[in-house]
Amino acid sequence: MREEYLLAALRMGAGADPVPEGVSAAARAVFGLRVPGGVPAAPVDVAVPPGARSADGTAQSGVRRFSADGLVIDVETTVSGGRMEVAGQVSPAPGPDTRIEVRTPHIGKVRVPSGSGHFAVAGLPPGWVSVVCHRPGHAPVFTRWIHVRS
Amino acid sequence: MPTDNSFATIDQAAWEDLVARFDGRMWAVARAFGLSAADAADAVQGAWLRLVENADAIRDPGRIGAWLVTTTRREAARLSRRARGEVAADLDVPDTALPDPTAAVVDADFGRQVWRRLDLLGEPCRSLIRLYVLHPEARYAQIAVRLDLPVGSIGPTRARCMARLRALVEEEAR
Repeated sequence: MREEYLLAALRMGAGADPVPEGVSAAARAVFGLRVPGGVPAAPVDVAVPPGARSADGTAQSGVRRFSADGLVIDVETTVSGGRMEVAGQVSPAPGPDTRIEVRTPHIGKVRVPSGSGHFAVAGLPPGWVSVVCHRPGHAPVFTRWIHVRS
Repeated sequence: MPTDNSFATIDQAAWEDLVARFDGRMWAVARAFGLSAADAADAVQGAWLRLVENADAIRDPGRIGAWLVTTTRREAARLSRRARGEVAADLDVPDTALPDPTAAVVDADFGRQVWRRLDLLGEPCRSLIRLYVLHPEARYAQIAVRLDLPVGSIGPTRARCMARLRALVEEEAR
């Protein structure tokens, strides 16, 4: 039996430290973050991924790569001044009607990727973030949620 | 809640039922890692997000509770490691088919049984665990003052007392 489980049971048995309503409300709201019919993009382990921000493919650290349905999504996150920036690239090069949605549990922003598939969103609250790629004629592809802190 | 392989089609009401049933357990597990309220909230939210992204992989809705608790533990452990400055892989998710079966003990009724076992322990275990459980934000220095123990002994004593309590509970369960 794990000690954390024992401790958690003791706290619940005593009614100590109950779950805050804000945590429950956030959990209920997660239902709205489903992507019906979407395809989850699994993380791909790459030692030196191509730069998510650079058109010349210069390798950069901190880039996560996801792949599904013939699509690769590279995601790089940074936090500055308490706000999160998400930059990335989808490949192969997207068609003209492709849209990139960068989502946190609180806000989602949609971008039209460049011809080379680059996209960027700034001013997001740090925390959980996921990227969804919407392509005409394809199911949306969404990355796993990643946690970002400064 | 769906009873077949249709978890991916769960509706809002069934989702809210899941939240009502399990969010208290998930919170308690996250806090048991010593996480701050903000980090514990992130760990719990992370587990719900993992459920959303793995909905198609859920084949046994009866195991969702154990899976949520297991996933919360992993998210909490990851945040705890990161808070200590350790490298933490951030995309590890438990197998939807293999949730930790011991997660079932995270339950208020079971907790009340454990409280009765706690009374079988002598001092300082009884008082130390009581303080540690009832005051999640308490620091070792504060507990040391309350129990008149050296602050350096609180961590090892707590670990020893929890191990004794765990042994008592497991013996009872056999």
